[in-house]
Amino acid sequence: DEIGLIPCPEARYNRSPIVLVENKLGVESWCVKFLLPYVHNKLLLYRQRKQWLNKDELIDITCTLLMLNPDFTTAWNVRKELILSGTLNPLKDLHLGKLALTKFPKSPETWIHRRWVLQQLVQENSLPSLVTKGNLGAAPLERIHRLVQEEMDVCSGAAGRYPSNYNAWSHRIWVLQHLGKLSVKVLLDELSSTKYWVSVHVSDHSGFHYRQFLLKSLIGRTVTENNVLVQNQMVNQQNLSIQKEEQSAGTGATCAEEQNVDLPHCLEEELKLCTELIDIYPGHETLWCHSDETLNDSHNNSATSHMAQAMDVDGLNESSSKQGYTQETKRLKRAPMQDSLGPEVEYQFIDKVLSTCRDADQARFATAYRKWLVTFLG
Amino acid sequence: MRLYSLSVLYKGDPKVHLLKAAYDVSTFNFFQRASVQEFMTFTSQLIVERSELSSRASVKEQEYLCHVYVRNDGLAGVVIADNEYPQRVCFTLLDKVLDEFSRQVSKMDWPSGSPATIGYAALDGYLSKYQNPREADAMTRVQAELDETKIILVRR
Repeated sequence: DEIGLIPCPEARYNRSPIVLVENKLGVESWCVKFLLPYVHNKLLLYRQRKQWLNKDELIDITCTLLMLNPDFTTAWNVRKELILSGTLNPLKDLHLGKLALTKFPKSPETWIHRRWVLQQLVQENSLPSLVTKGNLGAAPLERIHRLVQEEMDVCSGAAGRYPSNYNAWSHRIWVLQHLGKLSVKVLLDELSSTKYWVSVHVSDHSGFHYRQFLLKSLIGRTVTENNVLVQNQMVNQQNLSIQKEEQSAGTGATCAEEQNVDLPHCLEEELKLCTELIDIYPGHETLWCHSDETLNDSHNNSATSHMAQAMDVDGLNESSSKQGYTQETKRLKRAPMQDSLGPEVEYQFIDKVLSTCRDADQARFATAYRKWLVTFLG
Repeated sequence: MRLYSLSVLYKGDPKVHLLKAAYDVSTFNFFQRASVQEFMTFTSQLIVERSELSSRASVKEQEYLCHVYVRNDGLAGVVIADNEYPQRVCFTLLDKVLDEFSRQVSKMDWPSGSPATIGYAALDGYLSKYQNPREADAMTRVQAELDETKIILVRR
């Protein structure tokens, strides 16, 4: 369930460099400089049609290559061909990717290939369901749900192995959008399951950005839901073809299932979480940014006509004053807000922080936050 | 936020030795754990060697923060944590551990002690409990007893 490199510059004994302990696979470092060029070369020769490799050999070679260097796109592409030809089970690639991520949690190519595989799996799923929906019943949905859960776990693991792992978190967002269909239940579940994680990773900007995505999606959902509900009623009243009925029945059913989201409550909870964390862990700009954005969300939410605007604040780890300033100017460029989620409470909080904190960074963040509040809330 | 090691050392003259230590390397890649632990033992020792008696400091080493407290009587403690873990809680923990240690282990044993000979078993428990700073530190937060300006922050 994990791979790693064993620092071992010399082969001291005449034995295999592969070590398997407690289900973790290790490779002694001395052999890599022999092994990697060897397999790399073999694959290239195959690609150039200079040397034939049968399917099993291809699977083995690409597997070895990718565990040593998962950013080798050609190897992933060979595996794509094998999957398309039906020789390789796509689930194997999900497992291989997961292993590779234990050692290379950011590897962009691994994440990209993973999305391709998931798309393949979903396509396989949706074809039968259109034709024999009644027969398969809940099975395809159940499968997708399990896939989504697994992806959430993989992302979580990778996020823990590298600070502010943007690749892992954006994959997570992708999965919710394409596999989870951004259903309210999934969004709410994710909000509650990531709450503890962000509380113990208070500088992880990507983690908090994910929560912003969840909140914004919830806001968006509530707005569209109302529209879709109205549409459904109109559609059902007219007798349409089976296909259209299925579609509307589908969305109608989803709407009926989804709970009423108490959005203001969610946003309030988020702000409370932020405030708590800022208090306990002084000096983390990430938390102040999250506070800003949550307040922003609540204002956008109270505006009736539109969905929340996207905020593209990049991940910010260092709290160097120069970067902090850029962060603040980005915020200042946003449109002024209408309603408020208790700014008096926020002012009180800031005052309390400023009067009791001893951390220079914390004081700076608090002052900046107050400036922002004053400018936009009046 | 994470604590990786908690150690008690004695700053003798001229050498520093390790009296007792606890480690939590579970978040590291399986095959790196042994070398990470070695690194932490070595670093803890080095830091105490370079610190004066009666001093507290936080030293940044790669992506870790090493918090060290050397007492007047030569007893020293080092906590190695990541950069999210609150500094204040580390020093509270060090105060507490060194205090308890000095009451349980006789001063005569310090200059010649080693992890094998010292009978103090609470470090593992503390390391584990303090992984969650909120729970572990609930009471002492109310008392702001440490003057944080006395803590030197060294960045490398």
